[in-house]
Amino acid sequence: MSLLEDKVVPGRESRLDACIAYGGTACSLKGENKGCLKNQERAFSQSGLCQLLPTMGMLLTLPDTAVVVHGAIGCAANGISTVIGIRLRNVQKGNPNAKEGIWVSTNLTESDVVHGGEEKLEQTILETYERYSPKSIVVFQTCTPSIIGDDVASVIDRVRDKLDIPVLVAYCEGFKTKVWATGYDVAFHAIVHGFIESDKEGRPPRREPGNKRERPLVNVINLASVGKPDEDEITRLLNAIGIDVTIGPNFANRETIRNMTQADLTISVCPTHDDYFIDYLHKEYGVPYVLKDMPIGLENTRAWLLDIASHFGLENQAKAFIDAEEKKVLQAVAKYTPALSGKTVFLSAGEFRALVTGALFQELGMEVVGVRSYHHDHFGEEYYEKLVKNQNGKNFSIDIANFQPFELTNLLNKIKPDLFIGHVNDNIWAAKLGLPTVTIFRIFDSYIGYQGFYAVAKKAARVLKNFSFNKNLAKHTKNPYKLSWYEKNPFTFIKVQEAALSSEQNLMETQNEKGVAAQ
Amino acid sequence: MSSNFIEKPRYQCALGGALVTINALNRAVAIVHSAPGCASAADGAAKSGSGYWGTSYCNGRATPSTNILEKEIIFGGESRLAEQIAGTLDIVDADLYAVITGCMTDIIGDDVASIAGRFKAEGKPVVVAETGGFKGNSASGYDLILSALIAQVVERGLEKVSNQINLLGLIPAQDVFWRGNLLELKRILEDVGLQVNTFFSPFDDLASLKTSSQAAVTIVLSDVYGLGAARAFEEIHGIPFVNIPLPIGPTATKEFLEELAKHIAIDQTVLATVVERETAGYYAYLQHVAELYNDLDLQRFAIVVGDANYTYALTRFITDDFGWIPYFVAVTDIIDDADKAKVAERFSLLPPELRPKLIFETDTSRIAVALRAEVADETDEYSSPISPAFVLGSTWDRPLAQEFKAGFLSATYPITNRVVTDQAYAGYRGGLRLATDILSTLISNR
Repeated sequence: MSLLEDKVVPGRESRLDACIAYGGTACSLKGENKGCLKNQERAFSQSGLCQLLPTMGMLLTLPDTAVVVHGAIGCAANGISTVIGIRLRNVQKGNPNAKEGIWVSTNLTESDVVHGGEEKLEQTILETYERYSPKSIVVFQTCTPSIIGDDVASVIDRVRDKLDIPVLVAYCEGFKTKVWATGYDVAFHAIVHGFIESDKEGRPPRREPGNKRERPLVNVINLASVGKPDEDEITRLLNAIGIDVTIGPNFANRETIRNMTQADLTISVCPTHDDYFIDYLHKEYGVPYVLKDMPIGLENTRAWLLDIASHFGLENQAKAFIDAEEKKVLQAVAKYTPALSGKTVFLSAGEFRALVTGALFQELGMEVVGVRSYHHDHFGEEYYEKLVKNQNGKNFSIDIANFQPFELTNLLNKIKPDLFIGHVNDNIWAAKLGLPTVTIFRIFDSYIGYQGFYAVAKKAARVLKNFSFNKNLAKHTKNPYKLSWYEKNPFTFIKVQEAALSSEQNLMETQNEKGVAAQ
Repeated sequence: MSSNFIEKPRYQCALGGALVTINALNRAVAIVHSAPGCASAADGAAKSGSGYWGTSYCNGRATPSTNILEKEIIFGGESRLAEQIAGTLDIVDADLYAVITGCMTDIIGDDVASIAGRFKAEGKPVVVAETGGFKGNSASGYDLILSALIAQVVERGLEKVSNQINLLGLIPAQDVFWRGNLLELKRILEDVGLQVNTFFSPFDDLASLKTSSQAAVTIVLSDVYGLGAARAFEEIHGIPFVNIPLPIGPTATKEFLEELAKHIAIDQTVLATVVERETAGYYAYLQHVAELYNDLDLQRFAIVVGDANYTYALTRFITDDFGWIPYFVAVTDIIDDADKAKVAERFSLLPPELRPKLIFETDTSRIAVALRAEVADETDEYSSPISPAFVLGSTWDRPLAQEFKAGFLSATYPITNRVVTDQAYAGYRGGLRLATDILSTLISNR
């Protein structure tokens, strides 16, 4: 199946065999059976995310779009932090008074749970259209209406007949997948079906193959969490070798998104974020793609840029540009490397981002001693080995976890790295252990390309210079675990799946347990 | 308010309210029995919306949660819950573990009480409340979990202590200044000779919750929040309750103390001395900015947006103490007609010439529509009737202030444009703090 054919987006555990529970080392992961890994669970777990959050994180960025969250009121509480990021992006673009994102909740109550919420949803969509005059509306289906059997698809069909704007639909019930990154796929699915496939004007025609542009035009798939400095750097790198860029679909309007079908190449900045959409553009519009690297760190940026250049015969320009840029940036960071060289680093983020950032720190002379990845899939596979090879075979710990800070805290307490690199929301756990942290995914900073290489080196050296804030924090605050927890293996609660135990058998077992409980 | 939907809700669901309430209790930890994401979504909103309360002890992504999926929805989640409670007791260091539920588990009908009961029977400090999101908003969650604690944790049969009171009605995080407010009120009340249970300050412990059945009276600092919990204290522990609105500034705080004295014995001389001392303290500072206030003409027409507690408390302060003209008030709670009447009655106590237009409206954009209509009626060729204006509301009301060229201070949930730690707006020092913050924003371009 594919984005075009899927009525509802499959969870990444089934589409990509993605796994969220594994503890071991970079070398041990290689030998694991993927079919078993994806079924691994925890007997004790902490709150993850549901797929609604990343879905909303992307779709709320669409300009002049109103989001209707069909569900209990708390599901729409998510918007509060999402709009801060969107507002700051507008500030970055010099537009601090841009219209704030609009989202509403159908606020399903106890009575709606009994009587159904379809009518309420339909009225809400129509009233949202009347009240805010948006250029498009996105409807989110959540757990509660899904369980009580609200037929959202029929409601969408009815309102599409009544409204002259695109109506997008995102099925993002939290209980449907344990891999919240599925939410990215849901957002792409909503965008493609809403703005392209079910659009009133129909889908744009496929571009004539002979219709050659003077300079190639490529799509760069952006992320809601990547800021303007990084987008500017991507544009600079590609423009420098003679390539024009369209950035989307986050923060892009319908026209820009439809035009993405006409590009000469689609470029991923994060394979694990983009593959579902890129595959669609390729299959339906014949747009070739680059989907294997992330331009973070020198080696990765080089590989990414050369790969793109090779599609257009621009390798020579690219090589010359890369050589010049590397030379320049290495000279510039030389003043920071003495403070960094020989230090150990632990990284925590989405798998791909964590791994490529690990390579960046290796290039600064540091050693990777641990990686916590939010999930694992084949996109990350070879990078674990690559990192081990880069540091002369030195293995490192890995924790595949949809957050689960209890494992992270235990692991950090054992490994005691010199520096912690964490996604937003991860750094606090390292901070409370007194470690210096470098945050990644701060939208005002650079991480990508040569600007990013320099900025990260500078920041790491600065943070290491004085982290008394965190050292004091560790002395005076406490993590919420018993001391005995730190003596245990951090992966004690992961229920390791033996091969051949299928998910159907899992269901049977649960059924039996339930039967026993009922007796 | 639309009959169909809520725009940009300024609250979480019942689960979110219960979760944040637990997280605000020292050494209490929640065990959320729900789909993945419920816990971090609900309290993620509170973490940033409350002036960055942020990560407390075991909240946010550290919240123990069963993260149930389709499998449990089909076959039931009870065994998963039992496993999760056992794991939590094994590694999480707390003195109270509160099992709370989300929509999914309430709909499929897991018998959470009997699962939790097994652990309770072993002497584990586990409590349970069904808090499915569709049961209401944060206010409902606050009442549901507090009622559960009052029934399951608060000790029975203790002797009453005649000068002890319980303070309820300020929902942690929904009242962004709850910690500062509780401590300021406690300071004043202790000075007039009372023992005060505030429960949710950083200096409180579970011991005071357990013995709170000793209190002689419960003060609910709200007309609409915390009444369920107050009734639980009354029904289970025989403690009567009284509603006295959240006081900000010298006038309201004096009235608060005098009203309180009708319900619990307070030495009148002591009360008078404290009122005199605190009022003098307030003016000892305020006099120094009085010149600024007069020279720069810092009187404003006020637009107040927020929950029932704050809209009234802020309006009273700017009217009675700060000498402003309240013009328009929007109460953003989801409340029924009876509660609306109670809130409206409070406003009717203001002098008629200073009584603002009062609306009940959950939706931010409709507040602007109502204010535009109000202003349009009175605008003449020289100016708008509300110039110079000032908006006291949430960060989401900043565009409203921009539209009306008004000054702006965020004082009601959600507040994401400043950090709140120990600041209080309640009481004497809180009133001074609010005056200071308002004046600071008015001169911030100097």
